[in-house]
Amino acid sequence: MSGEADRFTRSGIPLKDFYGPDDVGQAAHQEVPGSFPFTRGRRAQAVSSGGWIQRGLSGEGDATRSNRQLRYLIGEGQSGVDLIGDSPTQAMMDPDHPLAASAIGTQGVSLCHKDDYIELFKDVPLDAITVSFSVPAMFAVAGLCLAARKYGFPVQKLRGSTILTPFYAEDVTYAIHMPFKARVRTSCDVIEYCAREMPRFHAFIEDTYFFSESGLDAVEEMALGFLEIRHLVREVLKRGVDIDAFAPRIAILVNCSMDFFEEIAKIRATRRLFARMMRDEFGARDPRSWSVVITSHTSGLTMTAQQLPNNIVRGATQTLALVLAGAHAIEISAFDEALRTPTEESHLVGLRTQQIIESETGVSKVVDPLGGSYYVEALTDEMERRIWAMVQELEARGEPGELEESGWFRAFFEEKMQRYQHRLETREQIVVGVNAHRLPAEQDKLLREISEAKIRPYRERIAEVKEFKANRDLARTKAALAKVSERAKEGQNLEPAVLEATEASATMGEIAGTIRLAYGFPYDPHGAMKPLI
Amino acid sequence: MANGRVVIGMLGLDQHELGAIAVARILRDAGMEVVYAGRFNTPESIVQIALDEDADVIGISCHSWEYVEYMPELMKLVAEKDADVSVVLGGSVITPADASRMKERGVAAVFGPGAESADIVGTLTDLAGARQARVSMG
Repeated sequence: MSGEADRFTRSGIPLKDFYGPDDVGQAAHQEVPGSFPFTRGRRAQAVSSGGWIQRGLSGEGDATRSNRQLRYLIGEGQSGVDLIGDSPTQAMMDPDHPLAASAIGTQGVSLCHKDDYIELFKDVPLDAITVSFSVPAMFAVAGLCLAARKYGFPVQKLRGSTILTPFYAEDVTYAIHMPFKARVRTSCDVIEYCAREMPRFHAFIEDTYFFSESGLDAVEEMALGFLEIRHLVREVLKRGVDIDAFAPRIAILVNCSMDFFEEIAKIRATRRLFARMMRDEFGARDPRSWSVVITSHTSGLTMTAQQLPNNIVRGATQTLALVLAGAHAIEISAFDEALRTPTEESHLVGLRTQQIIESETGVSKVVDPLGGSYYVEALTDEMERRIWAMVQELEARGEPGELEESGWFRAFFEEKMQRYQHRLETREQIVVGVNAHRLPAEQDKLLREISEAKIRPYRERIAEVKEFKANRDLARTKAALAKVSERAKEGQNLEPAVLEATEASATMGEIAGTIRLAYGFPYDPHGAMKPLI
Repeated sequence: MANGRVVIGMLGLDQHELGAIAVARILRDAGMEVVYAGRFNTPESIVQIALDEDADVIGISCHSWEYVEYMPELMKLVAEKDADVSVVLGGSVITPADASRMKERGVAAVFGPGAESADIVGTLTDLAGARQARVSMG
């Protein structure tokens, strides 16, 4: 060895034995929390209660069952709820689609028509809590507005968020079978609509969590995230919307893996890069546009099916990193993540983990406690440099739409998954219980029984949705769908028409199919459903 | 024929495809022929592909619980059509109790979390070899 580094971070940054004053740039001496470029945090004040929002995902079965779950969580003191749709909902498919039958309500809540949303938010104080949706954004916004109207809450005051995933979801998670430009356009429609109608709502959460779970490293995760943010921001600006009308409501939902200091540096570097980009490149003047909210979901990929209790330790370690980095809201992947949608018990362990870190460790009594650490500051600078270099490289590669449609992103994700598996198999990356410190199956019993309980598909929904479809004012539904089609072809903002159609009892599958047809795509990608108009 | 012909696919709306793609590549690297059926299959469609392609093995990859519902249907179809094809199942969500239930249903092999590539390749090669021996003996 000729003095070359033999240790690297997860993203391949070479490490020295120790760091000193010569390793940190000017930034480390000048930056202050709560001031541009916000590397050290959005706010300068430490909050005695810890100050981050603690939540867990909810949503299972149908709207009635999920409503009970929401009211329970709110009763337990949760100030925000995080709703995830089941896989048919994520794929914009109604439960009566033949491919949906075995997936209804098992991994989230089944939502497809207006009564679902009205039932879901019954007796839920929509003026007092935030509702974060992992549900296709244009439908989540429409459903939330309809429920708010019904229960008398002003739409202007609704708080919460939707995730926009136009770039990568098609390749690594729930495909919606719409062309790239329709996915980007409907995303921008949601941003533009909410900027006008729901100014307190975070319409654009950039979710780097789900796609980085295919084995991306921290640099790749953020570079792909910035690529998507930059594209959507440019598109919304082209519509004549002022940057300060929507940039304050952009947030980033990041992953948090096990490389402790690199994850902290990633978040610090992301805040700095975002602030510079917004002020210097997009001309934002409002400081709220510069200081991005970062929330996180800890990595499900790091959670192993072997030796389940180890995952509790992983969740705690990741959460500590996130708190030290100043994350705004945290969700822990439950210890049974590798095997199932979390049980109530595993959910509770995640919540307690956060509460222990908040109330017992004292780590959040000071803002950015690691600021000024030679190592953390050097790593932050290096992450910033590498993320930005990769953003430049990706943008030089061509239009994102062309990259996506030529399969470039898909190949990229496949290659990273291969790389991840290769690293495990060669033990370049050690995962305790998987490729090191293993236990024979007969000894690996602790917490095991919990993983066997399953939620059966909610097949009663099929008849319920068929009945809903049979008992509506069909002429009105058809007219509303015709308007969606017209708007989609004209290129006007689709959100008002989607809201009206939902109000007129069109279902999500029908509206999505109508938009697909307007773009020259098949109504139903699987050929099982026929258009209503 | 190569070391065997395998149809790899996923059922229903199970969309986390990277495991299936990774296994397909491992099998190809090991000299097997892979017919990649991808996402959105039903038990009917995947059995039909296996018959059309004269496959030795059907490999189902799962990342959701849909397999619990679909696998019994698939095994029933294989029996009804008297198809000479082995069915194997792999995925991180499979628990030990599920694995034994699937084997009782006639699934030839189940690869849960932490399965080794060499084990997957070895098992599938053996299953394919056994079928080819049956076919050549007429």
